[in-house]
Amino acid sequence: MKFNFYTLRVLVILGLMVSSITVSARGVYQTDQDFLIESFNGSVPNSKVVWIKGDLKSTIAEILGHHYVGLRIRYWQNEQASAWILEEIGKEKPITFGIVVADGKIATMKVLAFRESRGGEIRHPAFTEQFKQATLDELQLDRHIDGVSGATLSVRAMTVVARLALYLDKFTG
Amino acid sequence: MNRRMRSLHRSMGALVAIFVLILASTGILLNHTSDLDLDKRFLTWNWLLTHYRVNDVAADAVYLLDRHTISQFGSQVFVDTTPVTQSYEPILGGIIIDDLMVIATENALLLFTPDGEFIERMGDSVGIPSGIQNIGLFHGEPIVQTRDGMWRSDFMLDQWEQLSLDGVGWSEPQAMPESLQNALVSYFRAEGVSVERVILDVHNGRILGKYGLWFADLVGAFLVLISLTGLWLWARRRL
Repeated sequence: MKFNFYTLRVLVILGLMVSSITVSARGVYQTDQDFLIESFNGSVPNSKVVWIKGDLKSTIAEILGHHYVGLRIRYWQNEQASAWILEEIGKEKPITFGIVVADGKIATMKVLAFRESRGGEIRHPAFTEQFKQATLDELQLDRHIDGVSGATLSVRAMTVVARLALYLDKFTG
Repeated sequence: MNRRMRSLHRSMGALVAIFVLILASTGILLNHTSDLDLDKRFLTWNWLLTHYRVNDVAADAVYLLDRHTISQFGSQVFVDTTPVTQSYEPILGGIIIDDLMVIATENALLLFTPDGEFIERMGDSVGIPSGIQNIGLFHGEPIVQTRDGMWRSDFMLDQWEQLSLDGVGWSEPQAMPESLQNALVSYFRAEGVSVERVILDVHNGRILGKYGLWFADLVGAFLVLISLTGLWLWARRRL
């Protein structure tokens, strides 16, 4: 009898240990303003806008795989770099990304806000590091980005905005 | 003790078997939502739409600007009957300045053309005051009331000065025009309910409302209990 009670107790504890606990990854990790202050070492240049029309509109649609929602995109640029705050839907909800491009290469890639229930792992530096120094080769990244299990659509969203930021940086000169 | 446990195990097994089948099959389907495009397939059965109360659509906020009606359903912002953008903050009011429709949320302004096309979302990164409570006009200039006071800008919306004014014409919520309400009901009915949502609601019991959720909890508790009685019997046999 004693053995059975002990066995049962051990099994229950083991069951609790192996049961997965889902931690929501949703949240705002950095405000847009803080991202810009950090990216430009406190001296944030005035914002500029690029209007989405003509050939630019169709190229952006080609990169995103759908039409861009909005008529203009705002960006910040100094002599060294340009910064972009872009949103793209992962599975159902938009993810906000902060991207800094310098010399035609990605210098910083960050998830500023994540609203999906799954796929938040893409915000970790171990993943975003893959984008550093990536550049554009005929609208595609010049490298393969390793996926994250269960976060395929979030990875796709990040890859797409990386391509978009690189293209827009080139377009705005 | 052993006999009683076996009897309890058998009774509960028969009771929960059907629900285990439902849970397992819906669980397998949910694991392959993207592969099966379940989130892109929609059901428009009348009884289902009635069950999901699609007929009872009620906007969270409605503002009338010039000839347009701006409304919000969840995170979706509509201009008249067209979904134009998403806002995860409630819309708090709207004004028209020059050739812009400006909608305020707590920490951003949403800009639209006079035809209702979405231009962009301006937030703290371009100096929009945060903690907005309302938006209005004072002699044609945009004013926002925030938790920290009142702020004024010009049509560019990129420079704001704090001040205190009387006589600001604040934006006020309106009722949804009836014709538009009917059109929006038609819009939501035509959109239907995604197969993924129905399967998920069957899986977690929400398809039967709050009682369904409690029922799913009860089935879950039975499953825990049946596992424990099963382990008990297994351990006894090994003695």
